[in-house]
Amino acid sequence: MPKLTIDGRVIEVAEGTNLIEAARQAGVAIPYFCYHPYLSVVGQCRICLIEIDKQPRLAVACATPVADGMVVRSETSDRVREARKAVMEFLLANHPLDCPVCDQAGECLLQDHSFDHGLDTSHMLETRRTFAGLERRMLGPHIVQNQNRCIHCSRCIRFTQEISETAQLTYKARGNGVYVDTYDGTPFDDPMSGCTADVCPVGALTVKEFRFRKRTWKLRSVPSVCPGCSIGCNVWIDHHEKVVYRLSPRENAAVNATWICDYGRFLAESLNRHEVLRPQRQIDGQLQPVDWADALASLGEVLDTASSLRVVASANLSNEELFLVKTLLGGARRADIVVPVWTGEQRRMKNGSGAWLQSLDAHPNAAGARRLGLRLVDHGGLARFLYGAADVTVILDPLAHPFLETDEATQLLRVGTTIVFARLEHPVTRLASWLLPTPSLACNEGTFISQTGAVQRFAAALAPPQQSRPLWSILMALGGELATEELPLRSPAEVFAHLVQTEKGFAGLDWETLAGTTDTAQRERYHGG
Amino acid sequence: MTTRPIVSEPAENLCEVTFDSKLEKRIADTLKQYPTPRAALLPVLWLCQDRYGWISPGVMRAVAQRLGENPAHVEGVVTFYTMFRTRPPASYVLQVCRTLSCAMCGGKELAEHLTTKLGVGFGERTPDGLFELHAVECLGACGSAPVVQINDDYYESMTPEKIDAVLETLTRKA
Repeated sequence: MPKLTIDGRVIEVAEGTNLIEAARQAGVAIPYFCYHPYLSVVGQCRICLIEIDKQPRLAVACATPVADGMVVRSETSDRVREARKAVMEFLLANHPLDCPVCDQAGECLLQDHSFDHGLDTSHMLETRRTFAGLERRMLGPHIVQNQNRCIHCSRCIRFTQEISETAQLTYKARGNGVYVDTYDGTPFDDPMSGCTADVCPVGALTVKEFRFRKRTWKLRSVPSVCPGCSIGCNVWIDHHEKVVYRLSPRENAAVNATWICDYGRFLAESLNRHEVLRPQRQIDGQLQPVDWADALASLGEVLDTASSLRVVASANLSNEELFLVKTLLGGARRADIVVPVWTGEQRRMKNGSGAWLQSLDAHPNAAGARRLGLRLVDHGGLARFLYGAADVTVILDPLAHPFLETDEATQLLRVGTTIVFARLEHPVTRLASWLLPTPSLACNEGTFISQTGAVQRFAAALAPPQQSRPLWSILMALGGELATEELPLRSPAEVFAHLVQTEKGFAGLDWETLAGTTDTAQRERYHGG
Repeated sequence: MTTRPIVSEPAENLCEVTFDSKLEKRIADTLKQYPTPRAALLPVLWLCQDRYGWISPGVMRAVAQRLGENPAHVEGVVTFYTMFRTRPPASYVLQVCRTLSCAMCGGKELAEHLTTKLGVGFGERTPDGLFELHAVECLGACGSAPVVQINDDYYESMTPEKIDAVLETLTRKA
């Protein structure tokens, strides 16, 4: 492997690595705009200029592969610092500098690099070039374009050509008047259009749904996994003061590189929706609030005395929750448990090696249910299951399958006692004998297994609203009420540790090192940058 | 010399474009001369501009389909090159050279003369749709400066009087 020196630091990196990545490994940050680790290298922004010993001219780090014995200087070279100042001045010659009203501020590479590498003056006396009519327009259903801010890095264009493969974006015109547009101004309806705003280093492309809703420096990010389908894209939940503002991609080369599809991205708002907020019990045909202690005690009795018990679990639940269900209800209580799955709409994602992943079903954790040995059923299987008789039925997630919304299903569930855990109003919440509030993914923690078999951890961004409690915590409390030996577990981490001991499919895994615990400081690398 | 007027296809005929057999044959012949379809994009666009007088979004889409490219890429190329016309041109497109040699040999005055004579600025056309005036850079005929290109023909060593005569002939022919 080639060994080289960058700003005095000696490092050995793999053959073919470019100098930006080599420097990153050596702990030296070389600035860049047009370079992106998952896009082709074009070398057009020129801010990554570096000095290489024995080469008369400065070189661009992004397009220079490492060589053995290379001596590279970045910020330690006067020539490099001068050159970067000049590049910054050119880039800012026409940039509007409207940072106070620009939504990209705070995660803008131009802002960051200007601060680190730029001048605080300019030779420009001329007026700035502007694009009439392109200052604030909808490029597509989700993307707002302000061409005046564009620095012509071509990342968005390369994204549609190389990653989403729709090739919808192009440069038009030439020279000073170059702008980004679609063919004949048709709407930019790429299914991954939001990613073009992610890769945009400036505020030229922004996402309509997030624009002006929150200053980015106020956001806190928590690592999570997209609940939209079985692919299991890694995401950040960006939140502030108990509100989820957006989902943004979290790097994972094996799954989603640094991308997420628009469907997944815009699930963010749904994570804020909580309609069932307190435990309730059906009394005289009406759902009446009860308190948790009473509810749990009564439910313990209902479950203990049930002559036959059936459970509709869900592939939206975490492995920890499914395991608790399997142990507490399936074990001594001999509950009949099914996990309904359905294909839903086909989603796809491109991983870091450029291969498309096609979603198998509409849930994030069908693979987990399968690995825990639970019985997966399709539409027909679920219908047959519900046509069977049982004393007590437990619905752990009304959104487990669309069949549960049908009149047919609700008719079947009117028989016997029905215990429903839910977050949103739903036909089955109305007929529940007991209704217990569970919060969204944003308030939960645990693990999902992606369709390719990766066990991925997600963390809780928010506290559950009002009286709702994550399912795992309800199940654990319920375990205390049940007349079986207690599971001495108090958190998903402890459940997971127990899982690793008892379930073959989880042997050898460690909660602490599961995908999902990446360093949050790394995020600037692929987001905004 | 008789310069032929540009006959341009009206926009409404170029929304959905199917190449006729003659143009299709010329495109097929052109494609044979290039290693990849993408490499033949510029010559194919020239064939289309020759046939329709200009290149409409519909033509771009048809070309993209024919070459297996995305229409956005074709439009990017068309808008990059100033000699591809993206709207129907006038019958006679006048391009006056304003680079050094021509400028020093009376090109500047010639250009001014044309704007007054036609009553239009650069980039504009006369109301009758007959003439369109453009200021361009070196046409590569400095030896016979000043030069005006009308459609595909060069009119060299021009003076205001000579160009007036040319315009008169062209107007009469129309």
